[in-house]
Amino acid sequence: MRGVEKRAFKRSLYHVRNQESALDIVQDSMMKLAEHYGHKPAAELPMLFQRILTNSTLDWFRRQKTQNALFTRMGDFEASEDGGDFDLLETLLPDRDPDQNENPQNQADRAQTLRVIEEEIQELPARQREAFLMRYWEDMDVAETASAMGCSHGSVKTHCFRAIAALSKALRARGIFL
Amino acid sequence: MSRPFRSVAASQHLMNQFGSRVANHLDDALPALPRDIGERLRAVRVQALAKRRISITEAFAPAVVQQGGSSVLHGGFGFWGRAAYLIPLLALTLGLLGIGNLQEQLRASEIADVDAELLTSDLPPSAYTDPGFAQYLKVDIKN
Repeated sequence: MRGVEKRAFKRSLYHVRNQESALDIVQDSMMKLAEHYGHKPAAELPMLFQRILTNSTLDWFRRQKTQNALFTRMGDFEASEDGGDFDLLETLLPDRDPDQNENPQNQADRAQTLRVIEEEIQELPARQREAFLMRYWEDMDVAETASAMGCSHGSVKTHCFRAIAALSKALRARGIFL
Repeated sequence: MSRPFRSVAASQHLMNQFGSRVANHLDDALPALPRDIGERLRAVRVQALAKRRISITEAFAPAVVQQGGSSVLHGGFGFWGRAAYLIPLLALTLGLLGIGNLQEQLRASEIADVDAELLTSDLPPSAYTDPGFAQYLKVDIKN
């Protein structure tokens, strides 16, 4: 589980946008995992943890029981249609040499890029964000993501596609070319 | 403007590349987490690991829980956990009862044999209460 908690914290933070709440969710998830699934083989724990973290985040939103902006985002857990007729794949082509980013002189640029990426990830609908982060950040495959999110493989693919489309479009609009 | 045709696999590859590049940037943010957050997360992990050890211990062995100053056996794993220590206890109890019963039967059998010997002997039972005969037996045993 080493290192997992930091990614879990950031994932929760992207959802709830509050450090204390994100910490509570991670703590709650880890304790639930240890308490209820501690006797399971270690290989099963990461997947179980992802599922528990997702459910704990949903529980947090349910507990809020308010119609504020954040909770409204939970409506995004339902499928939504993305407009626009731009060519997604065109925007996905790398415009820069990836090694360029490793130059120490670009550290400030990288920090700025990261900040913009995080902002745009927070702007994604919750289900898209969840699917995208599980697939590409947690490196889970479609089946694992679907299992953790409690949806079909097709839904995961759709969420990921829409997330990438929205992210790449938004990042390009802000002058970020990955 | 016409768009270039790409296969599904090529499109998927581009999406994966983009996702990986975003993930790499997100990874860069992890070491930059505030120190106090990192420490609290580390503490949570340590706490969870300790709880997991307890959970594993409870799953595979009944724990002795102190309740109101007296120790009681507390099964941590439902029916099978309780059965794990109740079955040997039951077997031990039944074994002890069996051994006790067998010894009782053997002793009764020995007494019955003595009674039978006495009753079928030529010597009348009243002879054993005679002091002279008792003295005779003692002398006979010594010799």
